[in-house]
Amino acid sequence: MNIKIRNTLTEIIAVAIAITWMYSKLNAAANMSIASITQVLVQGIGISILAAIFFAIVIHIVSAIMTQSKEKNVVDERDNIIEFYALRLSSVIFGISLVIILTLLGWFNLPINFGIIAITFSVFLASICSTFLKIYLYK
Amino acid sequence: MAKKKINIENSVRKLRFNNNEMTQQELADLVGISRQTVVAIEKYKYTPSLELAFKIALAFNREIQEVFYIGK
Repeated sequence: MNIKIRNTLTEIIAVAIAITWMYSKLNAAANMSIASITQVLVQGIGISILAAIFFAIVIHIVSAIMTQSKEKNVVDERDNIIEFYALRLSSVIFGISLVIILTLLGWFNLPINFGIIAITFSVFLASICSTFLKIYLYK
Repeated sequence: MAKKKINIENSVRKLRFNNNEMTQQELADLVGISRQTVVAIEKYKYTPSLELAFKIALAFNREIQEVFYIGK
């Protein structure tokens, strides 16, 4: 497994942890105030960033111990193209999700709580899809 | 000109072996790219930019058309 795929897997793990944590906290979202929901969502984003940093360090240390070598993380033109494709995919997914969420909110008269949660989760969904695309292209 | 896809192939793998069996990592270090990109170029999965193609040709001390050419 090369360093690019390891970094991408780290992102997926971090996002998965954040989503699981937020999902467990937002069980009673219908009865929660907007302030408490946004608090949970912001904490979840913070957790995903911290988890990404933590797992990046741990995976690099474990990999360096196992392979007995320090792999250089060279970013070249192919990486930039892959990043661009991933960014484009995540923008498309987020855009489509946003339209669907807004349509559903209006159609079913759902409370704004669901809208805020759904938009945040669509950001994570876009992030996960783009990281899977990166793994596919790096292979 | 008709919109026909051009298959750009290369002889990077052959040239590496003719250059004292240069490793993929050595070539990558010479031209400033990752080893994965060298692998992708050798498998024709990635066509490098003109600048990178020139760098690779220079690394082998060859003309660019000797390294990259239009395949069938």
